[in-house]
Amino acid sequence: MRLEKCWFCSSTVYPGHGIQFVRNDAKIFHFCRSKCHKNFKMKRNPRKVKWTKAYRRLHGKDMTQDSTFEFERKRNRPERYDRNLAENTLKAIKKIDKIRSDRASDHIKNRLKTGKVQRQKEARKQLELGIHLVKAPLALAQDSSLCLPKIKVNVSQAQTEENQPMED
Amino acid sequence: MIQPQTHLNVADNSGARELMCIRVIGASNRRYAHIGDVIVAVIKEAVPNTPLERSEVIRAVIVRTRKELKRDNGMIIRSDDNAAVVIDQEGNPKGTQIFGAIARELRQLNLLK
Repeated sequence: MRLEKCWFCSSTVYPGHGIQFVRNDAKIFHFCRSKCHKNFKMKRNPRKVKWTKAYRRLHGKDMTQDSTFEFERKRNRPERYDRNLAENTLKAIKKIDKIRSDRASDHIKNRLKTGKVQRQKEARKQLELGIHLVKAPLALAQDSSLCLPKIKVNVSQAQTEENQPMED
Repeated sequence: MIQPQTHLNVADNSGARELMCIRVIGASNRRYAHIGDVIVAVIKEAVPNTPLERSEVIRAVIVRTRKELKRDNGMIIRSDDNAAVVIDQEGNPKGTQIFGAIARELRQLNLLK
């Protein structure tokens, strides 16, 4: 029994699921479900289909290089059964999986951070410009607590004296 | 699901290129043939200067089908085309080489690999 990767979306194919397509040149394509199989038959390129892992890795949406990926390489030599080895491997799989998923979610969080800051800035500006939609200007003028705090900029006197000779 | 009138590619070097199924061997009203079944076929296209000629009636065993093959462990395997290997009355292949991938189910028959 072997867990394969779907050729189209790169998710794991468990036994009893999916279809294997054998091309005439003996290349085998594994598919996790009929969605991926049908997309393959339509000759779609997984690198261009947005929800596949191939697209996400190519466009930097998901983590590409990490040491945890080294553990999941394909091994063709079967290991002789050793109870200790099996036990340690099972424990390691759980731990490595957790580490990998934590790192992947961190990667996504960092990627989305700049967007969040930008959105907050835009929201602040929109509030300033469109405050008349929220509260009538007259009410704002009377009750100063509703305004956004104005930022005071101190202009030093020395600078204005220097500019005068240039204007002449 | 091969039935009479189905055209099949030939996956060996026996000399035939394309076969048309005439009959499915097994039972009197057997409808379809799958991987591993023997069929009676007529040669529709043959390679010139070989012992097999066009419109010759021969037997063949099916090695690849477009219809999925289901295994007991839940694996489902599909091929890209329908193909057969030419066989004689005893079940020995007429050719010496087989081209393309073949399912493991055919290991019971003595097909030279």
